[in-house]
Amino acid sequence: MIHVENLTKEFKKTIKEPGLKGSIKSFIKPKTEIIKAVDNISFDVPKGEILGFIGPNGAGKSTVIKMLTGILTPTSGTCEINGKIPYKNRKSYVREIGVVFGQRTQLWWDLALRETYAVIKEIYEVDDQSFKKRMDFLNEVLGLEDFITSPVRTLSLGQRMRADIAASLLHSPKVLFLDEPTIGLDVVVKDNIRQAIKSINETEQTTVILTTHDLQDVENLCDRIVMIDKGNKVFDGEIVELKRRYGQSRELKFVPRNIADVEKLNYEKEFGLKGGEIKVENDGHTVSVRFDSDKTAVEKVLGYTLSNLHVKDISVTDADIEEIIKGIYKSGVSPNA
Amino acid sequence: MKILRKIHRMFKLHRIFIKQDLKKLMEYKVDFLTGAIGMLLNQAVNLFFLSVIFSQIPSLNGWKFEEILFIYGFSLLPKAIDHLFFDNLWAIGYFIIRKGDFDRYLTRPVSSLFAVTVEKFQVDAFGELVVGIALLCVSIPKLTLSFSVINILLFIAAVFFATFIYTGVKLITSSIAFWTKRSGSITYMFYMVNDFAKYPTTIYNRFIRGIITYIIPFAFTAFYPASYFIRGGSALFCIGGTVLMATVLMAVGILVWNLGVRAYESAGS
Repeated sequence: MIHVENLTKEFKKTIKEPGLKGSIKSFIKPKTEIIKAVDNISFDVPKGEILGFIGPNGAGKSTVIKMLTGILTPTSGTCEINGKIPYKNRKSYVREIGVVFGQRTQLWWDLALRETYAVIKEIYEVDDQSFKKRMDFLNEVLGLEDFITSPVRTLSLGQRMRADIAASLLHSPKVLFLDEPTIGLDVVVKDNIRQAIKSINETEQTTVILTTHDLQDVENLCDRIVMIDKGNKVFDGEIVELKRRYGQSRELKFVPRNIADVEKLNYEKEFGLKGGEIKVENDGHTVSVRFDSDKTAVEKVLGYTLSNLHVKDISVTDADIEEIIKGIYKSGVSPNA
Repeated sequence: MKILRKIHRMFKLHRIFIKQDLKKLMEYKVDFLTGAIGMLLNQAVNLFFLSVIFSQIPSLNGWKFEEILFIYGFSLLPKAIDHLFFDNLWAIGYFIIRKGDFDRYLTRPVSSLFAVTVEKFQVDAFGELVVGIALLCVSIPKLTLSFSVINILLFIAAVFFATFIYTGVKLITSSIAFWTKRSGSITYMFYMVNDFAKYPTTIYNRFIRGIITYIIPFAFTAFYPASYFIRGGSALFCIGGTVLMATVLMAVGILVWNLGVRAYESAGS
């Protein structure tokens, strides 16, 4: 369905020195430097999959999406979607895709929403019957009824995002690109949008590529994630795999009867670990111990803790994906993905 | 058949946006009236000066007052039509590209140039259109024009192609923004040359005449075609020149635009 190979995008950036003098200097003799926003990225997405595309700010996510949607022309490498090359067969290609950029609307500011859909219907040549059916369906999953007669400029962010998503689906695209579709939304609307994405993916086998900073989106929706950082791919695989590879960490949390007793515990010495392999945090009430369950069995840590002090409450949890990703973003490890 | 369907679709889209802009006109009456009155005043001042000049002299370099009015009126027609349909090109040079808003035109299965221009129907242009038609109505009875079928067809063709001289100049200069991010001032500079075209080119020196004939050929939007209708002359040069210049400018414009789209860098989000 989607085949991306060695995709690279470079931007030329003018380096300006500060101040008026710098501006004049760079006007007369501009100094430029080449910035690789996306560096040799390859991946494939099969039909019907929801792929989470994640990475810190400035990692190059949007640049990849813009190349996949035909907005930007790659510097080198190829991407092929449905057998079409986005920037070459742009007009026939975009007929088969839907695009939503959460940061900016694709709709016409002054048109009433209903009018907007009439425009899109014409642009994509949707016939009357399928249009009506489609609108009913989108109405049902996204609840557009309340604001369909309002001009786009008067919509709230949540309404606008729903309107944008509906607009991207009107022509029943085979692939849907969502660039931060839940940014700035409240929990209810977020949930509503996730449900809609899920239902469209399930009923129509729509392939979805989703970028987000909300890891709830990823956990709820995505079959697989591709993580990029500084233009490079750092991870490609299922969430379970990500957790297995980076997330063997468990967190043991307990509330001791007497907080001073914590001094008696020395996990590092007990399990022969180096510093940093086990992390103990104590906020004066609750103690949290993070460790790798590959190196130290959960039951051993639990047993050692319980045998040394009395606890009021205790729990062991999986590290959530957020923790894992934070770890990867920070350290910038480049595993052999 | 396919092309007919395509044209039909284009008209349908135009209709939706025109309806919308007319609706807006009703909503923002004060805004529209202020704009229209300003425009009228601007033209009125120009015309007042012309009449003052002509009250002192019988003719300007051999051109009578009525003839000047006809040329002036003619010049407003293509300008108004371009203004009416292709006004959004200004926004390309000023902010659409710089802010990355051009993205959304590229995700639609229509030509990006059409997508940009269709969404704005500039009602302000009605002012120019009204003044232009009024000036023609005033001047025509005082001139001896031949209303043959051929001449009427030539007149329509001249206005049509002259419109695309305006559009072409805007298209080429706005497209520069794909590389420089902003080119509104360049468009403005070139566009303003059209002020020269409202008067007989024979009153200018050879340098200016050369420029408005061959480089930024605004003389073909008014003086040359209008002078053909008033005094006759070479239809091949006066009307054919308009057709040729419009075709060349639009061809170059579309080429530069398409190259620009490939060079488009969007903006960070």
